[in-house]
Amino acid sequence: MKLRLKRNKLMAEPPAMATGDIAFILIIFFLVCVSVQPDSGREQQIPRSESKEQKTEQSKNIEVAMTRDRATINGNPVPNEEFVGRLRTMLASKQRPEDRIVVVKSRQDTPYMWWIKVTGWIEEAGGIITLQLEEERTVVTP
Amino acid sequence: MKIKRKTFSADVPSMAMGDIIFTLLIFFVILARAQDDSHLKWEPAKSPDVDQAKHALASVVIDVNNKLYLNGQPIGVSQLAGALKERLGNAPAGERTVLLKVHREATAQFFEPVIEAISEAGGDLLHVLEQERDDKKQARAP
Repeated sequence: MKLRLKRNKLMAEPPAMATGDIAFILIIFFLVCVSVQPDSGREQQIPRSESKEQKTEQSKNIEVAMTRDRATINGNPVPNEEFVGRLRTMLASKQRPEDRIVVVKSRQDTPYMWWIKVTGWIEEAGGIITLQLEEERTVVTP
Repeated sequence: MKIKRKTFSADVPSMAMGDIIFTLLIFFVILARAQDDSHLKWEPAKSPDVDQAKHALASVVIDVNNKLYLNGQPIGVSQLAGALKERLGNAPAGERTVLLKVHREATAQFFEPVIEAISEAGGDLLHVLEQERDDKKQARAP
């Protein structure tokens, strides 16, 4: 003879009264997830700005000039796909960090997205970026 | 004749303690982590290799209108280096991160002096960028 035992079935539903609280907590949780999403980016070491006395020293360094959509190395236009390779070749013989400095000159209308791409290539090739900015001077004429 | 007044217990239900603590925790996390420059409009430039940003002591933004902000407050480029020096204080090297958020279309005349100011203040510059997805490569992959 088989005995059939009746088991008590327990209700395990969350109370309907708490639904509002649960939804509220979930909204806050997802808001936090969105607001604390960490920034991502790229570090860049740029030496502190110095005065013009080092001009003779700088003249030995490689110079990269940028326009709106072009980049040149020592005045020679370089296709984008060859940029890293050519710069790497030029830097290969230079061992000291001060020799690996690449002077970056940008025209005033150079967009940031292009600038960040080219400086990324310079770093990839092993160069150390230094900015050369045009200094504004007010000349008072008599 | 004495009328007995009913006494009501006004205790916080101990069942809700977990929820209360969780909500408080989230609240303080938001306070600690939320960036106060979240109201500014700017679009990050894209880069194939980006790293997670470290804890930053300051955040500099150039928005879509080429306006400059330090931690969400408008500032002039000539005051930026001084204000950054003050914020960075005596923080040791490696813990002087300054986030630079530049709108992708901003031109060199606006962002280069800012980079120079960060460098002059001795900040560790971190460009905030968006990860560039190489969809073409993925499409070509088997």
